[in-house]
Amino acid sequence: MWAEKYRPKTLGDIVDQKEIVERLKSFVRSRNVPHCIFAGPPGTGKTTAALCLTRDLFSDAYREHIMELNASDERGIDVVRETVKTFARAKSIGEIPFKVMILDEADNMTSDAQQALRRTMERYTETCRFVLCANYSGKIIEPIQSRCAPFRFSHLPREEHDHFLKQIAEKEQVKLTEEGAEAIFEVCGGDMRRAINTLQASASLSKPVDAKVVFSITGKASPVDVQKMIKTAMGGDFIEARKQLRDMIQKYGVAGSDIIRQMHTEIFRTDIPEPLKIKLAEAVGEIDYRLVEGSDEEVQLSALLAKFVEAGCDAKK
Amino acid sequence: MLYAVWTVKHKPKSLSEIVGNRESIQTFVDWVKSWDQGIPKKRAAFLYGSPGIGKTATVEALANEFRMEFVEKNASDYRTEDAINHFAGLASQYRPLFGGKRIILLDELDGLTGTTDKGGVKAITEVVKTAACPIVLISNSAYDQRFTTLRNYCLLLEFKKPPVGEVMKHLTRICSHEGIQIDESALRFIAQRSEGDVRSAVNDFQMLAQGKKQLKYEDVSWLGYRDRQDSIFNVLRMILYGKTCLSAKRAVDMADVDIDMLFEWIYENVPAHLTDPHDLTRAMNALSIADVYRGRIRSSQDWGLTRYVIDFMTAGVAMARQNTKASGWIPFRFPGRIHSLSISRADRAMQLRIGQKIKRKSHISAFRASKQVLPYLKIIFKSNIEMATGIAKWLDLDREMIEYLGGSEEKAEAIIKQMG
Repeated sequence: MWAEKYRPKTLGDIVDQKEIVERLKSFVRSRNVPHCIFAGPPGTGKTTAALCLTRDLFSDAYREHIMELNASDERGIDVVRETVKTFARAKSIGEIPFKVMILDEADNMTSDAQQALRRTMERYTETCRFVLCANYSGKIIEPIQSRCAPFRFSHLPREEHDHFLKQIAEKEQVKLTEEGAEAIFEVCGGDMRRAINTLQASASLSKPVDAKVVFSITGKASPVDVQKMIKTAMGGDFIEARKQLRDMIQKYGVAGSDIIRQMHTEIFRTDIPEPLKIKLAEAVGEIDYRLVEGSDEEVQLSALLAKFVEAGCDAKK
Repeated sequence: MLYAVWTVKHKPKSLSEIVGNRESIQTFVDWVKSWDQGIPKKRAAFLYGSPGIGKTATVEALANEFRMEFVEKNASDYRTEDAINHFAGLASQYRPLFGGKRIILLDELDGLTGTTDKGGVKAITEVVKTAACPIVLISNSAYDQRFTTLRNYCLLLEFKKPPVGEVMKHLTRICSHEGIQIDESALRFIAQRSEGDVRSAVNDFQMLAQGKKQLKYEDVSWLGYRDRQDSIFNVLRMILYGKTCLSAKRAVDMADVDIDMLFEWIYENVPAHLTDPHDLTRAMNALSIADVYRGRIRSSQDWGLTRYVIDFMTAGVAMARQNTKASGWIPFRFPGRIHSLSISRADRAMQLRIGQKIKRKSHISAFRASKQVLPYLKIIFKSNIEMATGIAKWLDLDREMIEYLGGSEEKAEAIIKQMG
């Protein structure tokens, strides 16, 4: 799959997140890495950056010095006690005296498991450095946060996004039109994994990838969309809107940060009195912050949906 | 119409489909018919009885059967002068110029509460006194003090809870419409549990039976679990209809579920019970603040913050009610987030197995892969055999997985052939 095939291999390959990459490169130069938290929305290169960092550090021997654990598959306290500890305490041979443990989706760990992890991190700092990847750093317990260097990843800007996709399209001999790239950006919003998956699925139809093809693909991949949900809410049917939200999160795995970003865009496109728009924007901002703090996605976003119901009702008056 | 509510979808279309209360219904029919001979002594019928036993359904079925022009209003709509004048205007004609004979239903009379609506009952009484067409009033109780005068002008008809056998008859009718086979023991269990409330029996039945072809006693007996948890309904009532902060907060002590579960119950049921958009926004905001505190507890491990979670999820929700009136009987629903039946277990298992394969190759959790990557694979496997072959090889998928992604045996065959 292209998302894997074109994943950057070294820090030098990463086109975006310049400040982050510079700091990581300096870690490589000094041959020392602190514990890190990589926080940010899906598809912004957190795991990639972690993998590149270890590869640059250990070059060919990187496989022996790295362990990747996925907290949403193995999130219990037992995993931390057994697997993580065993890996962390074993001394490593070679020029660099530590190994790197990448804990992906760390915000899905139970807080008990995080407590256990905190002790492990402290005890075995000499032999193991942790890189925690998370959508929301707020879901990581404070004691761990304070022991880690924070890195905040953000979505790729439009140009970098287009450039990257066009490179892939060229190598795979797929015709990607300007509108096609724009459509992908609109639906995926800079989430590169989704963008590349969308490109590949679109290309599988063996036609030039234009906006129409892209929208038909994303329509199939996730039939409920934010625009429709907002329309439902504005029309006054909160229960149905919440159901659509639930489907998006539970059935199709759309990230809350993506949903809220699209809701923000939609505000200024809807046909309601101007002052209401800025009122809604304020609400979106507040909820966005609550999400970053680590609150429950569905609860927060449905509270926001209620505000849209209210706005829809006020607009009619 | 997959998600149609069965209480609406299977509403009785004719009087013969209504279960129980034969005598009252006959008296009611005779009264309506008597209008053809001129205005009777009592110009309104007052139907009263506990919720969900077919009072409104009777009026609707009658209007449908006799092809009458049916005007249905909620009693609480009549509190402004304009609305009352409109009502009086409607009531002054039995045979309007266009359309058939007219019948007016004023539902949920008990929804008129307190002193603010005192005028409402009086205005309705005035209209009834001089009405030129049949007016039907519906309420849970007729013997409320506020209705003393109004009662004098009405034909009083009590509706009683239908016996278990009658409720079963109604459910059986739904079964045959929906093509569901059900054991008699299961049917009896649901009917008995409802204690004569046909509407709640149908709601329960839909929750249990929707999407199934067959229903056995084992499938329904877990409702018994809900019986033991009956107190949760009282707790919810105290919170969603609480008048003071303290009474809403006190509800937590009565609940025998933990705080997180109680939160889910409240979160699920708020929108149906607080329908005014401003009330809804306030209530949802209170829940979201409660949730923010849950997050703060998680990251700081300071359990003392729990008291604020409780404040907002109980008192915060109770105080949100400013415009929504208590109206009729709204069933409480089991938290849908937990009870999510969106995909079958077999589907989920297969998705997770494919997710595991993706995970091995691409630094993403099996869970997330099954949600985010799998939908794209389905498209690719359906539309491009060559690309699918490459991916199937790379991910090391087995036949079953390829068939699942491709959607058919033929597709799977073609892909496997290519793989060699």
